[in-house]
Amino acid sequence: MNILLLALLAQQTVAPTVEPVGVPRGNTIGDYNVRQSFETGYRFANVDGNRGKYRSDVNFLNGVRVLGTSLTVNSRNGKGKYFDEIILNTQGLGNDPYQFASMRVEKNRRYRYELTWRLNDYFNPGLTIAFGQHFQNLERRMQDHQFTLFPGKKIQFFGGFSGNNQSGPALSTVNLFDTRGNIFPFFENVRRKQNEFRFGGQAQFAGMKLFWQRGWEFFKEDTRGFLDQPGTPLDPLVTNTTLANFRRDHPYHGSTPHWRVNLFTEAAKWFTVNARFTHSNGNRNFIFDEVANGAVRGGARNVQTLVFGDARRPVTAANLSFSILPTSRITISNHTAFHQTKMEGDSTIRQLTNGTLDSTVANFQFLGIRAVTNSTLLDVALKPWLSVQGGYQFSDRRIRSTELLNDAGFIDQARGEQSNRLNAGTAGFRLRPIKGLTIVADGEIGRQNRPFYTTSEKDYHAFGARAEYKQKYFRVAAQTRNSVNFNSVSLFRHSSRARNYTVDGSWTPSTRFAVDAGYQKLHLDTVTGIAYFLNFNQVDRDSSFFLSNVHAAHAGVRTVVAKKLDVYAGFSSNRDTAGSGVGFTTQPALLAAQVFPLTFVSPQVRLSYRINEKLRGNFGYQHYDYTEKILQLQNYRAHTGFLSVLWTF
Amino acid sequence: MTSRNRLLLPYNRPNRVFLLKRLIQFLLVCLLANAQSPKSSPPPPGYAGSIMCRGCHPDISAAFFRNAHFKSTTDEKLKFEQKGCESCHGPGKAHIEAKGDKTKIIAFSQMQPKKILDNCLQCHTQQMGRANIRRSSHTTADVVCTNCHSIHKSATPKQLLAKPQTDLCYGCHQNIRAQFSMPVKHRVNEGFMQCSDCHNPHGAEAPTWKMSARPRMMAQGLQNEEPCMKCHVDKRGPFVFEHAAVRVDGCASCHVAHGGMNARLLKRPQVFTLCLECHNGAGNFGRQGDGIQLTPPTHSLTDPKYQNCTVCHARIHGSNSHASFLR
Repeated sequence: MNILLLALLAQQTVAPTVEPVGVPRGNTIGDYNVRQSFETGYRFANVDGNRGKYRSDVNFLNGVRVLGTSLTVNSRNGKGKYFDEIILNTQGLGNDPYQFASMRVEKNRRYRYELTWRLNDYFNPGLTIAFGQHFQNLERRMQDHQFTLFPGKKIQFFGGFSGNNQSGPALSTVNLFDTRGNIFPFFENVRRKQNEFRFGGQAQFAGMKLFWQRGWEFFKEDTRGFLDQPGTPLDPLVTNTTLANFRRDHPYHGSTPHWRVNLFTEAAKWFTVNARFTHSNGNRNFIFDEVANGAVRGGARNVQTLVFGDARRPVTAANLSFSILPTSRITISNHTAFHQTKMEGDSTIRQLTNGTLDSTVANFQFLGIRAVTNSTLLDVALKPWLSVQGGYQFSDRRIRSTELLNDAGFIDQARGEQSNRLNAGTAGFRLRPIKGLTIVADGEIGRQNRPFYTTSEKDYHAFGARAEYKQKYFRVAAQTRNSVNFNSVSLFRHSSRARNYTVDGSWTPSTRFAVDAGYQKLHLDTVTGIAYFLNFNQVDRDSSFFLSNVHAAHAGVRTVVAKKLDVYAGFSSNRDTAGSGVGFTTQPALLAAQVFPLTFVSPQVRLSYRINEKLRGNFGYQHYDYTEKILQLQNYRAHTGFLSVLWTF
Repeated sequence: MTSRNRLLLPYNRPNRVFLLKRLIQFLLVCLLANAQSPKSSPPPPGYAGSIMCRGCHPDISAAFFRNAHFKSTTDEKLKFEQKGCESCHGPGKAHIEAKGDKTKIIAFSQMQPKKILDNCLQCHTQQMGRANIRRSSHTTADVVCTNCHSIHKSATPKQLLAKPQTDLCYGCHQNIRAQFSMPVKHRVNEGFMQCSDCHNPHGAEAPTWKMSARPRMMAQGLQNEEPCMKCHVDKRGPFVFEHAAVRVDGCASCHVAHGGMNARLLKRPQVFTLCLECHNGAGNFGRQGDGIQLTPPTHSLTDPKYQNCTVCHARIHGSNSHASFLR
């Protein structure tokens, strides 16, 4: 059975090993059954080409790893003294860029503790962004703990903690000392820390379930930017500015306390009700202190910028859902949502140039978003093999904005308010004409009267359909998803078309052989009217055009040789053939940004040899080939793999 | 200590024994509330008991102690019909007497999807994450519990999934599978994250950062926002100067969520086209309804530095110290 399941697995990164070892009976220790597996080995990577891009995309490097471990302990009678179940899984420990651990300890109906821990080593040179000067080599560590008292009972309590730390070196850029100056890269020591504490409970009474949670999120960023040596200007044509040294501190601290309350019932067989209310207060205090020493147009220039203030964002949301089931064949659902966000902040900016205070500017900003949405869905099972559904959704969103600036007594204020309404309809059906064949289709058509952005949805429709035919050892499916949006008004146009087509199948004629393959075509084209300046002359009637045609394919075959050797070979290929976009513009910069053809191919092979009932030897190899068609600056080829031993006991 | 202070002591500093007693009383009340009346009772008519199932289903029975549902078997406070096999499959006596006739028992492989949902929800409405399951896109497409969960042959001990979560989702969402195979992507295939970090497969509240029904089934973040902010906490704010697009239309204004060909999951290979598509002064868009601010005349598109907008507008997600996100 296992191989039947494995045949359908997505192509895995070449570790940890998925092949099972022996019969997973486990060992009996006292009243507990214990199963463990432990896979360790050496991972290797050899990169030819742009190593930075490889690390951005893949990032597996050389070294010894604990590729994967698993431990399950179950009480055989469900009456363990201190616990009934322990589940522990880890992946990639020992310096892999993607490390993961999860654990659950539970005593039936007494307590449950759950842990998730993750580490991501994020390396990104971002060569095509900001002249490649926004490099990041960061490490993100995330953890989540949740302890539940009396799980599964009528009254439960829980408490939890989540942490998210990000740290490491990065580069950023700054424009000095004025708009005619130059741009200089500088170093950043990124330090961000988020902690969330929460507790709450759940109670069942009179057929209702009440859930409540109180929590506090604390966030602080103490990133420091610096440049201890003369700066290297990015624009060689601008020679009027030099930078001797630079320092930036901008501590940014605050908290977001929140409430969540949820009331739910499914006690009656013919209706369900779900009501939810959430409120959170977000508050951040900050100080910004930046010092830049250098020269501009032949004169020494020392600029210190001091900014202080705070920002606030209270968010309130409420939802109410009714589902009515008058007969077993009909479901009517209505959902009303209210959402309100108020963002406001004050900042005072003081700038000293060559030791003299030359400006003090106070800012107040407000942005408020209020949205009300109501949707109704009707689902009818006309026959056991045919169901239809239809729905209607109405949304109203109002945005208010205030921008206030006080520059040494000169006050500038801008206010705005506008609202946007959406009317949308949905429809779909499900059909099972013969045994094993399922056809599902759904669509949505919507009209908004006043979208806020040029690329927002206005007159749009989306359609999707999927057909699947499944027999015991054979499965084939085809799917399409399309969405089209037009947001054109007088003297402006925007259109976007996305079309996805996929087909895939799998065949498992025996427990020793399985094959699966698929092909996906993802098409996107957008045309948006743009305006810009060319040498101080405004150009109004140009267009930004983007075209992407991704042909993606994957295939995998798995077989067992002589009952001992599992062999898996597979590949995935992504090719953006783009296409021709000539005709929408004559501006070279825009022409160069219309398409981005590239190929990303990754074949792999895995061998897993069963040495005995408890031991497997494994080898995996995966090749990556990234090839851009235009610039080829980021191209790379990488040979990665691992050699490992998997021990189950 | 003065007599006045002694009098105030119980109110100002309640002693620990007093608090402990109250806490124990509170927990006892909870335990009593959690207690259920029926203890062991004789089998109701039609029920045979889980022990009778072992004869024909030894493989399932032998490994069932590892199953999350096993706890119902040993819970003495549950009613007979709430225990073991028959709590899901219904009374089994007729099934046994008919020598395994599937029509004489609740066989999930033979049931209509909605019946399966009804059956599982008898117990599994405990978690609020399933409060919207009746109106979820999965339910309306007849994707119900047993399409993803395998109770007796699960591949994962947690959640009893029929296959690892990623493979389950890819089974239907093949276009998303292709996106996660692209060079720039969230690390789902690598095992660092899962689909359920951002999506709630059991149905979600209405999306609040966009107006239409899509994107669907999003597991919202702390401030009812897109799930992106669960991890990218530094982009959440609040900021004095918010990049309004992030809050109004969401991260998808500029980024693709799953995977793409462009750096930093951007929707365009060059940043400036992305910026110019909104900042073109056209129509009645934007905060004040008079068009989104055009780039200044000094920003000649022929100059490479003005084709790299974020080289100066480095704080593009929001800033506290500059209205144009320069610092």
